Formats: sequence, structure tokens, C-alpha cells
Amino acid sequence: MSKPSSDQYSEAGILHVSLSDRSIRREALPPSLFTNFLGGRGLGVKLLYDRLAARVDPLSPDNLLVFAVGPVTATAVPTSGRFAVVTKSPLTGTIFDSNAGGSFGAHLRRAGYAAIMFEGRSTSPVYLWLNNDHAEIRNASNIWGTDTRIATRQLLEETDSQAQVACIGPAGENRVKLAAIITDEHRAAGRGGVGAVMGSKNLKAVVVHGTGKAGVSNEQALNKAVERARRLIKKNAVTDKSLPVYGTAVLVSVINEHGMLPTHNFQEGTFNDAEGVSGEKLLERLFVRQYHCHGCPIGCGRISRVHNEEVGGPEYETIWALGPQCGINDLEWIAAANHRCNLMGIDTISMGSTIGCAMELVQKGKLNAPLRFGQTDGILELIDDVALSRGLGAELGEGSRATASRHGAPELAMQVKGLEIPAYDPRGVQGHALGYATSNRGGCHLRSYLIGPEIMGVPVIVDRDRTEGKPSLVILYQNLSASMDSMVLCRFTNFAWTVDDYADLLAGCTGLQIDGLGLLTLGERVWNLERLFNLREGLSSRDDKLPPRFSKPLPEGGSRNRVVNLEEMLPKYYALRGWDKEGRPTKERLKRLGLAKV
Amino acid sequence: MSGAVFMDLTVEKLAKMIDHTELKPEAKREKIKQLCEEALTYHFATVCINPVHVQYAAELLKDSDVKVCCVIGFPFGATMSIVKAFEAREAVKLGAQEVDMVMNIGALRDKNNDLVRSDIETVVGASGSAHVKVILETGFLTDDDKRQACILAKAAGAHFVKTSTGFGPMGATPHDVKLMRETVGSSMGVKAAGGIRSFKDALQMIEAGADRLGSSSGVALIEDFRWTQYSDAWTQPDKPCWTCPSRQANLAKQPKEVYLYYKQRCLTCPDRDQNIFND
Repeated sequence: MSKPSSDQYSEAGILHVSLSDRSIRREALPPSLFTNFLGGRGLGVKLLYDRLAARVDPLSPDNLLVFAVGPVTATAVPTSGRFAVVTKSPLTGTIFDSNAGGSFGAHLRRAGYAAIMFEGRSTSPVYLWLNNDHAEIRNASNIWGTDTRIATRQLLEETDSQAQVACIGPAGENRVKLAAIITDEHRAAGRGGVGAVMGSKNLKAVVVHGTGKAGVSNEQALNKAVERARRLIKKNAVTDKSLPVYGTAVLVSVINEHGMLPTHNFQEGTFNDAEGVSGEKLLERLFVRQYHCHGCPIGCGRISRVHNEEVGGPEYETIWALGPQCGINDLEWIAAANHRCNLMGIDTISMGSTIGCAMELVQKGKLNAPLRFGQTDGILELIDDVALSRGLGAELGEGSRATASRHGAPELAMQVKGLEIPAYDPRGVQGHALGYATSNRGGCHLRSYLIGPEIMGVPVIVDRDRTEGKPSLVILYQNLSASMDSMVLCRFTNFAWTVDDYADLLAGCTGLQIDGLGLLTLGERVWNLERLFNLREGLSSRDDKLPPRFSKPLPEGGSRNRVVNLEEMLPKYYALRGWDKEGRPTKERLKRLGLAKV
Repeated sequence: MSGAVFMDLTVEKLAKMIDHTELKPEAKREKIKQLCEEALTYHFATVCINPVHVQYAAELLKDSDVKVCCVIGFPFGATMSIVKAFEAREAVKLGAQEVDMVMNIGALRDKNNDLVRSDIETVVGASGSAHVKVILETGFLTDDDKRQACILAKAAGAHFVKTSTGFGPMGATPHDVKLMRETVGSSMGVKAAGGIRSFKDALQMIEAGADRLGSSSGVALIEDFRWTQYSDAWTQPDKPCWTCPSRQANLAKQPKEVYLYYKQRCLTCPDRDQNIFND
């Protein structure tokens, strides 16, 4: 394989790995891809849009699986160790990117790569061993069937103890649509069933050891931007206090007080025992130490002690999904269930939400199963059954949309485009609700995290009940998120940094002449290409909707008497996006974004 | 929020309106150093600090465009005039160029206007060339009290009236700032302080008539102000109750009659239909 001429990101390669014929080749990162889509999510989306035929079965060998980092990865930019996994999702049928922390991304970049693209399917279990410029497909039969912790430790023994592993557990091997990819034993590219795609290719793991340098274009400018970025993180109450002290679980109390902590499958928005599963309680009862991803000064991650064992997490979304969503108030059990999901390689959000959905199906007499809100009995075993695709677990492993539909109550699945909605009841936040409905990957809180302005007052508080102004705010956040995901940075930096800060960091790393508006245009380009991908797959404006439950008011709590007024916002959203009334990007808008020829 | 204030304001202009504030009793020297460094970086109007830190801050800010502002009789204003005067004189001697004194609040509520005025005059006299701002602590006062306090402060030769200490029952509100501006006119400064944490809060105060802002979130005000170029959604009008002093009224922190004064206003408020349930 040819070697790059420098350590700059623009010289990084794309590693093409054909698992069908076991060929590996390195290709230079095309300049137009770099300048128009950067890396990470943007790069992956463009690769898939260009190379994937429409209507491909996501679990067939024809699907592509891209691991990608970005131009700031492994540099001095805070939180720059993340990586993105981009593929067509078996859960949603949409384009999908899921990203994870840890240090895997930093190693991939230091090995000299912007991305690895897997195609085809191996006839037997394998893993990829990438040791700087040496790439090799290795037999993984001996670890097939192991959980993510055993697999990770064994792979590090087989390769290099300093390497980083991203692997699937039994759930991914069994192509469960809730399967995640786990790195560093407890950080997850969790959503959308990206682990199932990996399993469908008989790819157990990717192991990377990179020791090179992540070169930057303008070190002086970057140092200045980084110094400033670090100072802002230190000055911000969320990134300097709340997240380091409590982890993301700090949100339990905040969201519950607003009556938006989904309880009993979104039947209520207030959980009576929220204090028992709060960030404060996690600190008092289970906390061992903080966990920092590569290059992160925040350290929102938790290492907890459960049943005398140190485990990763739990995060806010997980606490909610396996807790209040299912009516469960046992924090120690939640941490243990989270650990079980990590071992099995399962997305905790979709898992908990789907169990909560099944509990309501039982409650409504639609499903006969030993599941009751508030009861933990048998759920750890059920998680195993999901991972191993057996019994009721096989059914739930298809996700809430399929489960609820099968039992004649599709309205009980709390999902958008097949992806389970996370831990914020949209009735209490109009802008965030619009973000859920229009998200290109389905029910996702990270595409436009309007919880910042609508609940936390960051950067300023905006009226969470108003619909005016929300379409433009959602678009701003969606475009910025697409840019951040293409630089590949942690979403939490957004509490402390503005658009200009991201642009300055990117310019320092790459030499690109880009300002805040340019960065948002880049994000808009990624967003529109994702939209085009989904339209090509047959999705339409009919999929930009929320479950009917959100048209009925919550009975009590801080968000009582509220419904989502999506119909007021969606037409304005389309218009501001430059899309027609059916939600299709107009030629003019595509031309402006440089997408006229796609 | 109207566009006029918004359109004319720049990051630089906004910074020059901010007293970058650290008044917590537990503040260590390191914090004061950081405060001063930030003030130099952002070119804030002043650093607003307790008297014990004045000398140190003055050294750090020597020969810069950032002034030292010292609070006097803080936070209750209930000490003797001679003590306030001594405190002000010493602070100025140590390098304070602005003095934020707390008014004799009880005397004002007693309608003892002479005492209120002489208390202010004493501090103004002791402060030499330093500008004096008079903190009314609006949360203890009715609107009539606030107007009277403004008139007395102006007559006593003070340079600014200021809403709150940040330690009292209420923070600054656009309502109070507007009232104070209308009372003192354009020849005197109005400083809004207490609870100003975001650029949106700042813009609301400026629009109401403030020409100085006291905030311990000065850096965030400036940094986050840059978001305004990317969306005008930030300045969509809030529910009227959000910025009304009546919403902040608190029986546990205020005299009963003052608390009831605020709550009774809700009954006749033209926006009372919007004051329902939870927001």
C-alpha cells in the first residue's frame, strides 16, 4: 500500500476492505471529499451515497460499513478522539451514523487513515488488525460468541496491549437490530443497529494501533484556538461542573422537574422515584471515578461499582431507558443491566424503550409476557435472549416499531423512522420535538439538541412552548451538529463553544479558509445529502412524524396540558430548508450546496 | 425584544458596559486574578469586587483600560454612614475608581429621606473622583420607593443608580431598569445587576435603559453574544411573566407588604391570562 507524503489529514487514506475476497487497498482521500464533507459522518454519508445502490438490504453483503475520523481527530483539539460509524441502518432503513468516544478514533487517525470502508461478507468470523500502515484480516473464530469485554481483552493480547478495539458482542453476531459496536469495553456506537451490520459481515472487531502524528496545517493558529476552547470549557458551568461531577445523569432531576422524564413508555412525564436514579444518587452510591475519552477535559463518563465489580456508566439515557421508561427505580440494577447490554453489545436506549413498549403491550392486554412496569424480574435474562435472538428476545430485538406492530398496537412504539426516541418527552419542548420528527436517522436527541436552549438556558433560555422561531433554531443546530460530526467532536463542547470556535479549530487543523457560516453550509450539505439518501430509499415527508401519543397532553407534572404542535412547525421547517412541500430539496438549494450533480 | 438595540450593539460595545463581578465571600486570590485577566482580555468596564481584593486587583489592572469597582456597605447597606465613608475612602486610596454603595434600605422604607440622602452624600464625598453607584436593592422596595430612591441618589450627587446586590430577594428586571431610567433621566447612569447570566438578559436590560451591567457571567455574555449572528430566534419575546418582578417575589425573603404589593399587581396585570399553570 502506498504511504502518505505527510501526516496532514488531507493526506490520510481510506482503507478499502473487501471481506468477500479479503482484499485490502489504500486509497487517498479525494480532495473534494475532504473539502466538502471533511470526515466522520460527512465523509461516510458521501461514500455511501455514491457507492450504495438504492434499496439494498442493510444486512446483506452489499451494504457498506464505514469507520471514519475527521480533520481534528487526535490533534490538540479537546474531545478529538471520537469516531463515526456510517452505514445503512437495519433498524430504520435510513442512512445512519453512530459515533463513540474512547480512543479508537485517535489511533485510527494516527495510523494514517481517515476511514475504513468494509464491503462484502466474510465466509467465517474475522477481525481487522490495523497496525499503522500494516492491515491484515485475521481469523476471529476463537472469539466469536464472546462478550465484548472478553473479546476486547483477548484481541489486545493477540495484537498489542496499546491498541484500541471496536467490537461487537453476541447481539451483533446474531444481527440483532439493536446491536451496538463497543469500544474500550463500555463506550458505544450504540444506535441504529450498526453492530448488526458488522455482524452480518462476520466482522467481529476492528483493532487499531496508530503511533504516527496527526499533523495540523497551522500550529500557531490551532494552539490559539485550542487555548481558547479549553478556557471556555473551564468557564462553562455545564462542562466544568455538572458533567464532571455527576456525569450525564445530572439530567435526571432537571428533566424530571420539567415533567419530561418519560415514564412507563411515555405515558407520564414525571417519575416519582427520580431522586433514587439521579446523578446525585449515582455519585453517592456507585461512583468510583470519572472516565475521560481521548483528549477530553470534561470527563462525563463514569466508572461505577456494582456487585463488587467495576463497570462503565451508566449514562443519563441508559438510566432513563432501563429505569423510568420501564418504571424501575433500582439504580444498582440499572447499572448492572447497562453493563449486561455493553457485554452483549446492545444499544441501551432502544433496548430499554422496546422493553417499556412491551410492558405497555402487556398492560394493555396486547401481549402475553412476564413483563410488568416496575419489575426487574427476568429482564437481565431477557437482555441475553435479545442478544442471542431467542424467544421473546428475538421479537424485541427487532425494535419497538416491529414489536408493537406485530401485536396490533403500532401507536405504542415511541419511535421516529423506527429509531426509539430518547429520554425527553417532546410535549415539553416544541423545538426538540421538531428535531425528533425531522431527524435523518430517526428518533434522535443529538441531531438538534434543543434541550440546551429550551431547558438548560444554554446559550440563552428560549420559551420551550413557543413554536415561532423553532424551525430556524432546529436547522441551525442540525447543520452545526452535522459539521461537528464531520469534524468528529463531542456534542458536549457545544455547551461552551459557538459556531465560530469550531470554525477556528477546523481552520487551524486543516488550513481551510472557513468561517462560521461556511461551517454551517458544510453541515447543511451533509444534511441535504442524507435527506436525498433517505428519499432514494423511499422515505418521504410522511416519515417526518411523531407517535400519536404526543398529540395528547400529559396528565400531570411540569409539562402537563401540553402537546406537540408539529403541524405548525413542519411547513416552515421545509420552507427554511429550501425544500418543497413534500420535503424534497429543491434544485436551487442543491445547486447552492454543490449537490446539483448527485 | 426590538431590533434597534440589537442591531447597534457589538461585542466590543457590550464588553465596555459590563462590570465583571466576583463578590462571593469565599472567593480566593486565584479567582480575583482570573477575573482581572478575563477583564483585560475582554476589555470589560470594571472588575467589581469586595474591598479586601481592591489593592491586588489594582496592581493587576494597572495602566489598563479596566477600572476597579469596589462594593461598599455590602450587601445590606445597614452600617453607619461614617463606616461606609471610611470603607469608600480606603478603597479609593487602594485603587478603586468606582464605588458601588448599598443604600440605607430601612431608612428609605421609613421615609427618612434625609438620612438616605446624607448617607449617599457622605460616601460621594469620601470617594473623591471615583464614580458612585447607589444600589437600591429593588426587591425590598415598591415602585414608589424605587422612584424616591432614584431621586435621592441623584440629588446626593451619585453617578449611577443600581438595581440589586445579587444577594437580595430579587435580581434586575427590565421593569425596574425602565422605571429607574425614566426617573433619573439621561444624565445619570443606570446599572442592572443580579441574575444577568445570558446575553439575552443583557439585551433586555439594555433595551430597558441600562448603560452598565453587573454580572459574574461576563465572559459568557460576550462569548455567547456571537450566537446572535446565526439566528434571531434567541430574542423571540418571552412570556411576560418571565421578566416581571412579581414572578420573583418571595414571601420568605421579602417583607410581607412588599411581597403582597408585587402579587397584587398580578391581579390587574394586562397579561394575567398568560399567568396560568406552569411555564
